[in-house]
Order: sequence, then structure tokens, then C-alpha cells
Amino acid sequence: MKIKKTLDAKGLACPMPIVKTKRAIDEINTGEVLEVLVTDKGAENDIPAWAKSGGHTVIEQKTEEDVLYFYIQKV
Amino acid sequence: MSKKVAIIAANGGMFDAYKVFNIATAAAASDKEVQIFFTFEGLNLIHKQAMHGLEMPAGKEHFAEGFEKANVPAIPQLVEMAQELGVTFIACQMTMDVMGLTKEDFIDGIEVGGAVTFLEYAKDAAPTLTF
Repeated sequence: MKIKKTLDAKGLACPMPIVKTKRAIDEINTGEVLEVLVTDKGAENDIPAWAKSGGHTVIEQKTEEDVLYFYIQKV
Repeated sequence: MSKKVAIIAANGGMFDAYKVFNIATAAAASDKEVQIFFTFEGLNLIHKQAMHGLEMPAGKEHFAEGFEKANVPAIPQLVEMAQELGVTFIACQMTMDVMGLTKEDFIDGIEVGGAVTFLEYAKDAAPTLTF
């Protein structure tokens, strides 16, 4: 998987991870992958819901040492 | 599916502000068109001075520490973000007249309108939320 851009949103509370993810995805092109790192536990469901609302695909999601990683392919 | 979210902000405390602006910014970041109608105490949330000193409910002041610990953005920061994301703010004309307020008492970039302005926008919005 080729990552075009990484967004570090660790330590931020709702709604910041979503707002920053939105801004970051606006900066990449269709088909490219955005990596998002968050510690807000609400993001576990929020980021996939956000991706769904915009038609983007979460191609991978994992948790490592309390950090959530999302890999989102832009529609 | 509607791409519009309509929000009525009718209360003026700090918790009310978070409810309104968190939902508004999240919706706008999800490519929704968002309009907020500020009425009665809700006008506090966009008032140039009042928005910097919104109060917590009586007896809940101890949550201040929790807000800081959770790294929750300050209200003026959320307001700015909402505007950057294209959220439209409408101040209720009637309430402004009652309270003796003018457009200059509010942050830049707001619109002033009446109930029908909001209803016309909200007629095909989903969801419509009231805080």
C-alpha cells in the first residue's frame, strides 16, 4: 500500500480528528491513500462513518499501543 | 439522502455551544451544507464578547478540568472552523430587536434573518436539530 499523506491527529478530541481528516483528504487525489493516526476512541467508529458519508474506502484499520491507524482511499 | 443539516441554537451556555458547533463542524466536514439559526440565548454563541465567556451550568464548573484534559478546542476556535468549513450562521432578527442588538455585536460573516428564512432552508434538510 502506497501512502500519499499522513495525518497525525493524536491527542485531539472530537470533532478535530474528523475536521482534520476532511482537510487532509482534500489535499490528495482520487485513488490515493491517506494515513490517519488518532487517539480519540470515538474515532474508531467516527472515521469509518465519515468515510462512508463521503464515499471513501477505509482499506485498513488497526490499533497499536492505544493509537488507531486508518488507511483511507479517496473516492 | 439530504445533503443539508439544519440546526437551531436556542441556548447560550458553554455546553450548548459544544453541542451546536461539534455537530455543525462534523456535518460540514462530511460534505453537508449546514445552517445554524441562533435565537434567544443562542445568540450568545456568536456574540463578539459573550462567546469568549460562556458559562457552564451551575454546579458543573468542575468539568473545566475535564475539557482541558480531553484537549477539547475552545469555542471561538470551533466557531472559526465552522465558518471556514462553510457553515452559515443566521441570527434571529426578532430576538436581536428584543435584546437591542445589531449585526455589529456579532462576529463577522453572519447573516440576519427571520423564522421563515430558516424554515425555507430546513424544509428539505435532514436532520434538523435543536439545542
